[in-house]
Order: sequence, then structure tokens, then C-alpha cells
Amino acid sequence: MNDFSPLRDIPILIGSFFVLTAAVGVLRFPDLYSRLHASSKLVTLGSAGIFLGAALELTEAAAFTRLAAILLFQFLTTPLSAYLIAQAAYLRALPPRLSGPDEWNQLGRHPQPGDEPPREDPAD
Amino acid sequence: MRGLALNLLLAVTWALFAGQVAVRELLVGFLVGFGILALFPRALGSAGYVRRSVATLRFTGFFLKELSLANVQVALLALRPRPPLNPMIVAYPMRLEGETAQTLLAATITLMPGTVAMGFDDERRVLYAHAIGLPGAAEARDSIRRVEDALLPVLTRRATPEVHP
Repeated sequence: MNDFSPLRDIPILIGSFFVLTAAVGVLRFPDLYSRLHASSKLVTLGSAGIFLGAALELTEAAAFTRLAAILLFQFLTTPLSAYLIAQAAYLRALPPRLSGPDEWNQLGRHPQPGDEPPREDPAD
Repeated sequence: MRGLALNLLLAVTWALFAGQVAVRELLVGFLVGFGILALFPRALGSAGYVRRSVATLRFTGFFLKELSLANVQVALLALRPRPPLNPMIVAYPMRLEGETAQTLLAATITLMPGTVAMGFDDERRVLYAHAIGLPGAAEARDSIRRVEDALLPVLTRRATPEVHP
């Protein structure tokens, strides 16, 4: 297992590099919203590279069908969790550090625990 | 869906004639069947299916290219000494309608260079996205628009909207 096999190892190395930069990005970026860029994009492609390398090492059909399933679910779930984290943070008034505009302009619109209870709807 | 059913039927037929219903024969049969559907769209009523399949393939290629670009971009930002993040939140008025289409758009832009989807307005006509590494709001909107352009032919049934009498 000491030999270097480019077909297997290059995807794994590239994938590991992206996962490492994801960690660096999460540490260095200034706020939650910018960190989500690192943790969503970089981890998706990084883990895809690692799984691809593993499938190329195993070289059986089942490994590739599993690879396809893993990639599909990664592409579906990673953006969803990033979306939910960003939305929850924003609507609960975690201030983003911006140098450009905030065109949403609804920061903290979500009711917080301890807020006054919402007024009763007269129709109820 | 009629086109897909025909294509699967042709794949099974091919595999039966090949004498072996295995993954390889089914795959070859599927490709041959797709060729037949692309050659005779009028007779088989498969024009829409062929067009959307080609659009899906195109979108997959576009997606993989942009995903790689996005990763290189964020990796560079993460490793530079003083990254020019220029973070902002932009509003993007969507042309896509329907929950599936809009969810796909939001998921895709999160994996594209510079943007992460954050929310929709109450009427679900505007998508809000956090952007980094882009010079301005106009560039961020352009980036989302390119994703939408690639998604539109995949999700719409007709190339040009027809008027129904």
C-alpha cells in the first residue's frame, strides 16, 4: 500500500486540499455568512474528490453506483443546510459584516424568544 | 415522461435482442434508443424529451465547470493574506416559477462562485443571496442569472412559449 497510484491518489489529494482550505476559510472569514461559502462549496467538491479516489481504488461497479448516490445526496443536502443556517441566523438578527448593500433589509424580522408575543389576529 | 418511457422500452428491447438483460446491454440500448428518439422526433413525439435531455446534460457540464471555479475562487480567498471579500446581500428577482425550480436554483447558486442562497420573499418572487469575492451587486445578479439561464431550458416544457387558443 506504499505505492503512489496517480489515478487513485490525485483525486484524493485534490479533495483533501479543498477540505483543508475549507477549514482555513471557516477560521479566517469574518462572519457566519462568509464562512458558509467555505463550508458549503469547498466541502462538496473536496469530499467528492476523496470519494472518487476511493471508488477508483475499489474499481467495482457497486463502488461507482454508491459514489453516484453519495454525490447526488451531497449536492442536494449541502446547499440546503447552508441555506437554512444563513436564513435562521439572519432572521434571528445575527448581524452580517457587509461592505456592500443589504438588499434583503429584514434583519431580525424573525420573532425572538423573550419578545412580546405577537398580537392576536382579530379573525381568530 | 412519454419520451423517457419509450427510451426505457427501447433499452429493454435492445437488451432482450442482445440476449442478456444486464447493466451494459441496458446502457447501450438506452443510448441507441436515445439516438432513435432524436432522429425521429415527429413520429415518436419525443422532441420535448430530447431537448430537455440535451439541456440537462448541458446544465450538468455547466454545473461541474462552475463548481470547480467556485472552489478555486473560495480556496484562493481563504488562503490570501487580506482577502477582498466585499460581502453583501443581494436581491434577485427570479424568472423561474414553482417550488421545485426555485429550490433547484437556490441549491445551485450556493455551489456556484460567490453566492450562497439565504432566503425568499413572502411571494417567492425574489431570491436573497449572500455574495463574496464579487465587485458589486450587479455582478452578483449576473452570476445568478447565468445559473437561471442554464436551468430554464431544463425545467420548461417548451423552447418558446406557445399560445393556446
